[in-house]
Amino acid sequence: MFDGLLLLGQGIGHFLTPAALFNVAWATLLGVVIGILPGLTATMGVALLVTLTYKMAPDQAILTLMCVYLGAIYGGSRTAILLNIPGTPANAAATLDGHPLAQQGKAGLAMGLATTSSTLGTLVGIFFLAIIAPFLAEAALKFGSYEFFWLALFGVVISGQMTGSDTPLKGYIAGILGLLVAMVGMETLHAHQRFTFGISQLGGGIDLIPAMVGAFGLAEILSAMKRNAVAHVASVNDRVVPTFREIFRYWKTIIRSGVIGTFIGIIPGVGEDVGSWTSYAAAKRASKHPEEFGKGSQEGLIAAETGDNAVVSAAMIPTLTLALPGSAAAAVLIAAMYIHGIRPGPMIMVENPVFLYQVVAMLLLATLANLVFGLSLTKVFIQVLRVPRQRLMAVIYILCVVGSFAITQRMFDVYVMLGFGVFGFILREMKYPMAPMVLGIVLGDLLDLNLRRGLLLTNGDPTPFFTRPISAVICLIIVFTILMSIPAVSKRVRALFTRGRAAPAQG
Amino acid sequence: MDTPTEADETAIRARADLLTSIVLVGLGLTIFYLSWTMPRLEARHIHPATIPGLVPLILSVGLTLCGALLGLRSWRIEAEGGWRGLAGIFTTRQALRVLVILGLALVHTLILVGWLPFWAAAMLFIFAFIMIFETWLADGPITPLSTLGWAIAIAVFGGGGIYLVFERIFLVRLP
Repeated sequence: MFDGLLLLGQGIGHFLTPAALFNVAWATLLGVVIGILPGLTATMGVALLVTLTYKMAPDQAILTLMCVYLGAIYGGSRTAILLNIPGTPANAAATLDGHPLAQQGKAGLAMGLATTSSTLGTLVGIFFLAIIAPFLAEAALKFGSYEFFWLALFGVVISGQMTGSDTPLKGYIAGILGLLVAMVGMETLHAHQRFTFGISQLGGGIDLIPAMVGAFGLAEILSAMKRNAVAHVASVNDRVVPTFREIFRYWKTIIRSGVIGTFIGIIPGVGEDVGSWTSYAAAKRASKHPEEFGKGSQEGLIAAETGDNAVVSAAMIPTLTLALPGSAAAAVLIAAMYIHGIRPGPMIMVENPVFLYQVVAMLLLATLANLVFGLSLTKVFIQVLRVPRQRLMAVIYILCVVGSFAITQRMFDVYVMLGFGVFGFILREMKYPMAPMVLGIVLGDLLDLNLRRGLLLTNGDPTPFFTRPISAVICLIIVFTILMSIPAVSKRVRALFTRGRAAPAQG
Repeated sequence: MDTPTEADETAIRARADLLTSIVLVGLGLTIFYLSWTMPRLEARHIHPATIPGLVPLILSVGLTLCGALLGLRSWRIEAEGGWRGLAGIFTTRQALRVLVILGLALVHTLILVGWLPFWAAAMLFIFAFIMIFETWLADGPITPLSTLGWAIAIAVFGGGGIYLVFERIFLVRLP
């Protein structure tokens, strides 16, 4: 306990240098601007920034990326409130009450509430990150190939189930496609080249960064430029800084949304948007005034913004301790960590325990910067919203080319970016979620290696995959998740519970 | 018909899903064949349960199954006018905008990069992009002179700025 506090103190102290604070300031500001601009997402921002941080020291590079990530998730709420368009997918729930508040002439108050609840959400997530991560890392040391195989599959299945907006089937398909992408190139058990079709550049597989820059950069450019709607920016005439009373009268909502966001963040690949929607729905159910939700409820806005920001911190729990990304942006962070020689996973508390607390410190500094910028730079951010998108997207495409080329300096990666951009755009248009695909690309190798290594250890006998306690539990959850996505099954299961609840009421 | 109604959209998506499901089943079966015929490295005496094609084989079965289920699901959805709507999507202004961006991106990346210095290719791309979307494919009123000024300024500062920041300050090599 005290060791943890000491390490946390060291982590914070480590970044209290002029250079680190300068990085926090510019990266958070850039993140907020990225979040504010519709069409630029947190994942895209982090993916593009990996290039810029390539030559930085590892701790400063991850600090920069983390600040961009947190800044972007927060910044998107501005657009949701002022334009009624979510700046990033994470802020979609914030539009429901944020924009009506702005229309009632309370845009300043809405932005103030969003800023403070984002900060509080991050703090709840940070609290759980600092508490849960060391224990999870220790528990994960007992995991073998069997458990890691199931965990990788669990990540893809649950992400597919929870992010498939149209039907979970599309989430599963996206996940399988991602896993298949990861099958390309040399496999790690026997060094055999799969699906390379004689193309030497495919020997090393498809790199995550160009694929992500394509799927989240070029695809976003195409989606944003496709629309020809020009939205009206709401005016801000009231105060931005909220009073303590305005915030803390909703303390129950804040804590509930923070805990829900944390739970969603821990589930691999589910992400901020699900955290935000789930918190919003829970707040509406528990509220004394559910009828105000969707018409400018301050509680609804607070729930949405606390929920998505708690996910950012909590997503670091599986990311750091299991190397299973808690969100799409966390997947890019894992790739960035590998580039900088940091190996996330169960060994992190053995090899590099300081790093975990440095991440906690990074999140703390980033959220403080968000709070300061969010409450003080309102006018500047409104100007950012007025930038015509075509002027911006042209420059963003050039950044996509640079971002995909710079890591390995091959034009092949730029072509991969182009391919994934077009592929990602088509999938998005047809309502396939991107998160399971990204998770599939990241976890494909882990899944493949651990399944075959497990079978090698048991001489081909698959029994331990089902009989080891943790394996059996994860396997059951996967089966249950898949079964619940079949409408006929889920309807019957739900009916069982509602009948159970209805019976005592009748009696 | 730039903005189809919700019912139209459902019908169009149902038909698009049906087409996709055929592609997915085809892809699944192809990967199944490729994984089945993948070398099993008998000469190296590896355990048969660890053959390189094992996981792709399982995934291909999953993809085929999911593709077939998607096809079945979309087949059952009432989609009056779905095929017509789907064909109509490709003739909308939105499709034109997407195709123009793709065209610009391909010309920039496949032709200009490598033929011109990176900064010059970037400036040309930015200039052409802004000019096209503020004149020919503009959302609102067209102001050619102002657009020309902005396009030149953003091309020079954007293209030049990216070159300076990445190659000179952060020492990142550019294409």
